[in-house]
Amino acid sequence: MDKIIEVKNVTYEYTEEETTHIAVKDLSLCIERGSFTVILGHNGSGKSTLAKLLNGLNKATFGDVFVDGINTKNEETEIEVKRKVGMVFQNPDNQLVASIVEEDVAFGPENLGLAPREIRVRVDEALKAVGMYEFKDSTPHRLSGGQKQRVAIAGIIAMEPECLVLDEPTAMLDPKGRAEIINTLLKLNREKGITVVLITHYMEEAEKADRVIVMNNGSIIDDGTPSEIFKNVEKLKTVGLDVPQTTELLYELSKNGFSVNTNKISVEDTALEIKRALEEF
Amino acid sequence: MGILEVKNLTHTYGGSSPFINDAVSNVSFSVEQGEIIGIIGHTGSGKSTLVQHLNGLLKPTDGMVLFCDEDIWANPKDIRKIRSKVGLVFQYPEYQLFEETVFADISFGPKNMGLCGEELEKTVTEICELVGVKPEYYEKSPFDLSGGEKRRVAIAGVMAMKPQVIIFDEPTAGLDPKGREDVMKIIKDYRIATGATVIIISHSMEDMALLADKILVMNKGEIYKFGSVYDVFSDVEGLRNIGLNVPIVTKVFLQLKELGVDIKTEIFTVENAIDEFKKLKEGNKNA
Repeated sequence: MDKIIEVKNVTYEYTEEETTHIAVKDLSLCIERGSFTVILGHNGSGKSTLAKLLNGLNKATFGDVFVDGINTKNEETEIEVKRKVGMVFQNPDNQLVASIVEEDVAFGPENLGLAPREIRVRVDEALKAVGMYEFKDSTPHRLSGGQKQRVAIAGIIAMEPECLVLDEPTAMLDPKGRAEIINTLLKLNREKGITVVLITHYMEEAEKADRVIVMNNGSIIDDGTPSEIFKNVEKLKTVGLDVPQTTELLYELSKNGFSVNTNKISVEDTALEIKRALEEF
Repeated sequence: MGILEVKNLTHTYGGSSPFINDAVSNVSFSVEQGEIIGIIGHTGSGKSTLVQHLNGLLKPTDGMVLFCDEDIWANPKDIRKIRSKVGLVFQYPEYQLFEETVFADISFGPKNMGLCGEELEKTVTEICELVGVKPEYYEKSPFDLSGGEKRRVAIAGVMAMKPQVIIFDEPTAGLDPKGREDVMKIIKDYRIATGATVIIISHSMEDMALLADKILVMNKGEIYKFGSVYDVFSDVEGLRNIGLNVPIVTKVFLQLKELGVDIKTEIFTVENAIDEFKKLKEGNKNA
């Protein structure tokens, strides 16, 4: 497989009040180019630390992280790494810098030292890709949370990264804003081939991913397709996670003596599975 | 006649400027002692503006708010008194922690109400027990806590005033599943321990179906509907038209109906769903 990111036996330690904490423990992981990966885990499971390791914002205490074959520890190639892997954070208000949407999106490409004409093209394309082109002359603070977060994403993709790492980008949004972001990410992944690594608390957002990784205590405890992961309801609950209500329903049905598979996530698949089970008796 | 009554409340932002905007217009409803009320509505529908009137943080442009049959603005100088009777927990309340220790932060509200000495200590200790803030945390700085713990302390700070009505504006926003579950439990425990009235703004239809006695649906600054969980969530089309939805489990039942299964669709929780399927199974056996 073609790897965009390779994490090799990485441990990340930090010191607080003279005590050393291990946030990520001897973790290895490959992210395939063009894939859509979701990382789940409760607060303090190490998933945000891992996210920052992926583009060199955090440097591994032990072990190495390679982006397109480049070691993120190497200072001379630091900018190249950050260009390849762009990050989006939780709070959109903390990520917007300019007073006009298109100027905000231009901030990154301007810093790359691109020609004005090229910047113009990239800004327009990025705004179209996230569905915010018609707002290019607006003021960011007049936008909704979901719209602001889409502008933040546009600002990153205008730098044409190969991979986007997003650390709970939907945590502060309402359901409509959340759906906007997920659809935008799916589109960027499917149409532009951008690799996506999405960290989230919302299990439903893992539904359409190629791969789901579950973290607990700084380690990966599960790794598979969404239906493989959500099959194991008990295990997810023991690490402080829950499952989508669809899976919960199937799980409760199976506990109550109905013969249903619990590895369905979408409303359509769940209904089909229940219909099948109902026809059996 | 309830503990809290809102009569023809209108709130206009922007005064006489060209940006004049009705955030809430002509809203009336009444809440009974001990009820749990859910407020739903998409962003910008006026939910937060509405609840900020209930404890006098905002003054109505028109209409009034009655607490125990008294207009809370009857004597504007006394408006602060209402804040300990109707507590409001803001969105991301942990941003408002400010004291040096957890205990001092939770004490701030009751202290302002005039509590001191043993009485103050007893009140704060009781609330800490109720929300699960352990004694070893009392002397810690609130800023050293994790996100979920900070939220807990911030909520305890409002509960320590023992309000008869407590309002939460998206209390679980930004938390992980365990954190969300913990906060919902604290709210239920406070309700059981004090018999208080609880008003919760939420985007989670699933939580609302589990918790609320009644749901108030806001749309464009007006009440779209105020009724039981059944009344609100049976109106699938209406909710969708105003950008809202039914709980996921209800969607599964609607889809089953679509697939030609003869089934009722007014199912709003997983528990109800299981009961319904059991009934179907029994029915089939007997047929």
